[in-house]
Amino acid sequence: MATGAMIVCIFTLILTSCNDKDKDITPPLISTDGFTPANCDIYYAGDTLHVHFLCTDDRELGNFNIEVHNNFDHHTHSTEAADCDDEHLHQGEELHDEHNHADHADAEGAWVFNQDYTIPDGCRQYTADIRIPVPDNAAEGEYHLMLRLTDKAGWQTIKSVAIHIEGHF
Amino acid sequence: MYFPTSLCAVLLSVIALTPQDTMLLHLDEVTVTASHSHAAPIPSQSSIELNAKFITEQLSATLSESLHSIAGVQATAIGSGQSKPAIRGLGFNRLAIIHDGIRHEGQQWGDDHGLEIDRFAVDHITVIKGASALMYGSDAIGGVLLLSPDGPPDRNIGGKACLFAQTVNALYGASVRLKGRTGKFYWKANATWQDYADYSVPTDSFEYYSYRIPLYKRTLRNTAGREADGALALGYTSGHWHTCLRVYETWAKSGFFANAHGLEVRLSGIDYDRSSRDIDLPMQQVNHLKVLWHTAYSHDYWGIELNAAWQHNLRREEAEPVAHGYMPTPPNTLERQFSKHTATLNAAARWNIAAQHTVRMGLQAEMQHNRRNGWGFIIPDFEQYSMGVYASEEWRINSRITLHAGVRYDYAHTHIQAYSDWFATPVGDTAVYMQRSATLSRDFHSFTWSAGIRYRADGWLVRANIGKAFRTPIAKELGADGINYHIFRYEAGNSTLKPEQSYQADLSVAWDNKWIHIQADPFAGYFPNYIYLSPTARYREGLQLYQYTQTQVFRCGAEAMLTVRPWQHLDINVQAEYIYSRQLSGDKAGYGLPFSPPCRMMPELKFHWAPAAFTDMLNGRCDGYASINVRISGAQHAIVPPEKPTNGWWTLNLGAGQRLAFNTCTLALTIKAENILNTKYYDHTSYYRLINIPERGWNISAMVSVEF
Repeated sequence: MATGAMIVCIFTLILTSCNDKDKDITPPLISTDGFTPANCDIYYAGDTLHVHFLCTDDRELGNFNIEVHNNFDHHTHSTEAADCDDEHLHQGEELHDEHNHADHADAEGAWVFNQDYTIPDGCRQYTADIRIPVPDNAAEGEYHLMLRLTDKAGWQTIKSVAIHIEGHF
Repeated sequence: MYFPTSLCAVLLSVIALTPQDTMLLHLDEVTVTASHSHAAPIPSQSSIELNAKFITEQLSATLSESLHSIAGVQATAIGSGQSKPAIRGLGFNRLAIIHDGIRHEGQQWGDDHGLEIDRFAVDHITVIKGASALMYGSDAIGGVLLLSPDGPPDRNIGGKACLFAQTVNALYGASVRLKGRTGKFYWKANATWQDYADYSVPTDSFEYYSYRIPLYKRTLRNTAGREADGALALGYTSGHWHTCLRVYETWAKSGFFANAHGLEVRLSGIDYDRSSRDIDLPMQQVNHLKVLWHTAYSHDYWGIELNAAWQHNLRREEAEPVAHGYMPTPPNTLERQFSKHTATLNAAARWNIAAQHTVRMGLQAEMQHNRRNGWGFIIPDFEQYSMGVYASEEWRINSRITLHAGVRYDYAHTHIQAYSDWFATPVGDTAVYMQRSATLSRDFHSFTWSAGIRYRADGWLVRANIGKAFRTPIAKELGADGINYHIFRYEAGNSTLKPEQSYQADLSVAWDNKWIHIQADPFAGYFPNYIYLSPTARYREGLQLYQYTQTQVFRCGAEAMLTVRPWQHLDINVQAEYIYSRQLSGDKAGYGLPFSPPCRMMPELKFHWAPAAFTDMLNGRCDGYASINVRISGAQHAIVPPEKPTNGWWTLNLGAGQRLAFNTCTLALTIKAENILNTKYYDHTSYYRLINIPERGWNISAMVSVEF
């Protein structure tokens, strides 16, 4: 009886395993070629931030989201966003000390941007070209631009880039 | 034999089992009967009995962790050394935890809510592998953990005191138990305290939501905690009667891992690294009070049992107030509070009709009342009323074969209250208080059944069972609508969910003699409408949207256990488990289920010395053991978004214990060294796998106890 059930179980396994190739197990990709903004690019309040990138997926792309948040506390991301401020070049190694002294009042007037974008159905490749106005009153300092991209299956890829916002000329 | 006239007598007979009789897996009929309520039948599913000695030897910081060395049981690590139990890969609300005859009701849906039960007040654990809705109702769809205290004390006064410590989070603690008996009256009291520091991991940094976060001294910031538990029991027992009033209170306060918690990944102004023992924000505090009254009358031909209980689970989660999106800076640190009251009434009756037949009937009623507070929203306020009735028949055809079958009907009514944000969100030109949860009233009906056979003779024990089980959707699944702050995703409930159902077939074949025990427990199950939180391609409020859906799921697997005793002082023990799961419909058809356990194997060599070998060493009895085991885990490539494939791993572990018995007291020393090679590995079933935090490195735990 036990062996019977085991055989049924193993048989089902073999049957079902055959279809495993249908699964999408690959997250979408954001191409680094031609990606703007480049790391540590400088923009001025009132400028237009030009986000341009190519994304691909082996099956079908989903949607994407762009978010800009301040990096006044000098945190680091595992993707490309680097710390561009020379004064703080060594902060990454000493982060546990740095964040003790982080002054949260710095974040006053910081620019916050968060927008969802859709990609048409059925795309395996998509070129996004988004122009985001930087507000006139955006506080100066370092910001991170976060790009989140999904595919149809629900996999997500995140890319972050550091940018610098300066005041008016 | 099946229905002892006194529960007490049988419980005592279990305690009286000599250590060499209590092997890791034993199928002794007396034991099986004993730790079940006498109104409950012996399950025709695979069940494992664990006694206080086993629990002690595990030396685990949590109850669920002490079970993970059992094939078919997993401990899903949820951070800070906390873990949740799972049976055959199903945990959270797919596992019923029956504590002292009453379903334990906390906020078990939560990703970082541990089990609010003092492990030192638990003397027997029965693990029922497989759906057991007939006797235990909703949630028993994956299995049941029956936790029970030992029977009435047999002496005027007795007790136990223990001290314990472990290195991985510098934990230390103490637990004391006193108990006594005067004629037919008895009392018991338990108290436990433990304190632990930040949890250490073998890595210098980790990646969370694309952020690279360095760790100070390889510890997880702010994961220290404290726990205090107390329990009191007053009882009366005579030939046929047993009545008992019990009160359990647990209190725990612990920090949330500061770098992987909150509405945003941010660097706090709190100096987390100044002390490894302090509890800063964000943190959680939980009180769980359980008052229960148990009464049973048991006779050769009939018996009744009544359990009534009230539980209050109060959970407070505090975090630094931070403005997020359109939410302004909140006025205080109370991010979330849940206050849940649960009243339970269970009644069961048994009649022995002729020598061969036993009929059982029962009624289980429960009322839940949940209120939330704080500036963060995850689940709405709700009330739930549920009631189940069942009838089952057991037919002992002869001394070898027992058949049983039963039917059950359940009704549940859930009422969810509307919730709107406390702050306004601009929509076009106006500002609106966004509604997160709408008023909802749902009725759920479930009809379930089960049938099984049990064959026992000549060293064989064969059990087969088929049955249908169900689970009522919980408030989070019906009405959640917000950001899950643990994992940075937007979770949306589904108010149209139907009760989750499952059809399952279980088989257990075991054979043993004096020197060998061999067992195989295969199972297969089908869920027509498994409630699954599916990651979508969409974004909502800037985060990826996860939506509750119902899909068809097929699961199967098996556990295998082998114990060989080639010499009276040596046990060779090998356990293995394998689980396969697959979604058959919906947008994730073809995928498995999240946190699917990879195949596991655990070979162990255990050398034990019994009184006979060392009788003259001391003026009394002494026995002890030394063991070495390897935990082997296969790789897991059956993943669903957002999981990553996990490589296989193995760890080497050692354990030893010595018991010295004097006239009326026993001194026991137990020590365990886990992962002695300090292997850095990732556990696919751990919550920390998602954020690439490896499991703990080497850890030594020790306990000294005195029983008198």
